[in-house]
Amino acid sequence: MDERYAYYPGCLASLSQKELDSSTRAITKRLDVELVDMPSVTCCGAGDIHEAKPDYYLHLSARILGQAERSGCKTLLTICNVCTLNLRQANQRLTEDPAELARVNDNLKSAGIAGYDGGIDVRHLLWEVSSGDGFERFKQIAVRSLEGLKVAPFYGCQILRPAKLLGFEDPDRPSSLERLIEACGAEAIDYPAKVKCCGFPIVLAREDVALGELVQPLREATEAGADVMVTPCPLCHLSLDAWQAKAADVAGMEFKLPVLHLAQLLGAAAGVEESQLRFRRHIVRLSDDVKEKLRLPSVVSAD
Amino acid sequence: MAIENAHLTTLQGAYDVELMEVTLRVRRYAGEGSRPETRSYTVEVATTATLLDALDVVKDKLDGTLAYRKSCRMAVCGSCGMRMDGGAVLACKTAMKPFVDAGHVVTVSPMGNLPVIKDLVVDMAPFWQKVHAVKPFLDTGGVDDPETEWRVTPRQSALIAKESLCIMCGCCVSECNSMDSDPDFLGPAALAKAYRFVGDVRDGDARERLKELSGAHGIWDCTRCYFCNQRCPKGVDPRDAIAKLGGEAFREGIARDEGAKHAKVFVQSTYKGGYLRETELVPKTIGPIAAIQQLPFAFQLARAGKVPNPLAPHKAKDNAEVKRLWKLLEAQAPKHRERATRAPEGA
Ligand code: SF4
Ligand code: SF4
Ligand code: FES
Repeated sequence: MDERYAYYPGCLASLSQKELDSSTRAITKRLDVELVDMPSVTCCGAGDIHEAKPDYYLHLSARILGQAERSGCKTLLTICNVCTLNLRQANQRLTEDPAELARVNDNLKSAGIAGYDGGIDVRHLLWEVSSGDGFERFKQIAVRSLEGLKVAPFYGCQILRPAKLLGFEDPDRPSSLERLIEACGAEAIDYPAKVKCCGFPIVLAREDVALGELVQPLREATEAGADVMVTPCPLCHLSLDAWQAKAADVAGMEFKLPVLHLAQLLGAAAGVEESQLRFRRHIVRLSDDVKEKLRLPSVVSAD
Repeated sequence: MAIENAHLTTLQGAYDVELMEVTLRVRRYAGEGSRPETRSYTVEVATTATLLDALDVVKDKLDGTLAYRKSCRMAVCGSCGMRMDGGAVLACKTAMKPFVDAGHVVTVSPMGNLPVIKDLVVDMAPFWQKVHAVKPFLDTGGVDDPETEWRVTPRQSALIAKESLCIMCGCCVSECNSMDSDPDFLGPAALAKAYRFVGDVRDGDARERLKELSGAHGIWDCTRCYFCNQRCPKGVDPRDAIAKLGGEAFREGIARDEGAKHAKVFVQSTYKGGYLRETELVPKTIGPIAAIQQLPFAFQLARAGKVPNPLAPHKAKDNAEVKRLWKLLEAQAPKHRERATRAPEGA
């Protein structure tokens, strides 16, 4: 784990999932890690700009990576699967092909934008906290054991596949979330759909197909007796949380599965105040039983 | 023993082959009306053996009724796709030694998203149907009998180099999450094949192809789970081909489909405000009527603070930079698909 990271929260944590941003800031502070803000970065292009305007996406990514470089950090820290894949894919293209990097830098220069030298690594918070000394540090600060809490890890797609661009762990048998859940003192539930898709990319355009995907993890985790689900991706979170009621209609069964951002679970185990974890911003609210298992103060503080 | 392991002892004598013991758990299914069951087989194979070699020894020595497909034994015919521990692989391209060394017993089962006929043999008919549906042949656009040949530069042929590597094995389809949810989805192999022709500078039918592919069960059904890229044994990267189809459809102005509109809003968002504005995403993506139907749901999101106030400023700093970049790249971008030229007559 680095001492300083160029922090890239991405669109969702900056706009509608502010609880993810505040929890991330709180947990990294406890880990004694400095997050350096990059105030003029844009959206990473998600899958959509990447698809519709591939060259624009590549340049937007180079602009973001260049800002990270000028922050003096070695690593850009992401908290979203989609940002992770998009930025790593662009980074690989730019660093493996000097001619391409030169072309992109020429264009950036013409538009009055500082260039990118190719010296940044893009890594997700999950990878940094679940391995090496980041994991050791986390174990030190995980002082509140969440014993009795059954957590269903949900990885989502773009932090696992394609492994040749991500490559942190075996995409079919990942274990980083389980390792962290256990370090929190909680119990990790195993279920096959934990590596499958949440349906988010097509939930607006092809809702029926997306819901057919979304019901699988929700059903399997519910049947396996999970109290909560945890995910490293805010898009998965939005799908699993905000579309949960619709998925329940499709499944013909009841789901009451609060979905936590990874940083919120880590934060609860590290004793971060609820005012920073902000569970009240979720659609599926925490039951009293879950609150107790998360060791949250019984009087809920105002948001 | 000499008789039982004749194939190995012969090899051993000639080449000094090292042997290892491998155990496979194989899902057996005798066809309609019967119940699938898993059986274990232990055989001795060379340390260089693939999964296919091990299955061959099982069939040869232990159980002649075991059914699976194979032909080339060298990852070119595409016959031997099957699941190992739940993920599709080519049996002939998967070495067993790492699993034996790790003491891990693998489970072999038929590929997913296709009907099972017997044991590891799936019915490929739906797969071929979808491949045929994308018109997998060159349509020069009315030029039936060219007098002279097309001239294709190496750069132009490289545009479809990856998609041309497909061996039609079906591994990419096996774990496709969208096909699991919508069995009619064209799927990664057929769409990679579609791009092989849309991206071919000799093809004259790209626009019509893209219109077809933008409809129901087409390119905008893909949920970007990336299982196809992960599974493909030939480096075709079907998901990337689907993204290229989306980009071509976008350039051709074929944005009538909801998925393409979704992409368009994303593009406009960075242009206007740096960060994605989800408030615009919902109505522009699914059209006003569907958006009104979504209203109670949007209200629920708003109550939890999930819908940012569209009037609140959240412009990324220095957004003028991004605008200049956009204009520059738009001016550079080719407005039309590239076409091959014909060689001059007599050339
Ligand atoms: S794209 Fe790859 S996995 Fe899919 S059929 Fe072709 S070769 Fe097989
Ligand atoms: S990325 Fe798309 S085509 Fe590929 S497996 Fe996933 S849903 Fe299917
Ligand atoms: S036997 Fe031909 S690809 Fe495996």
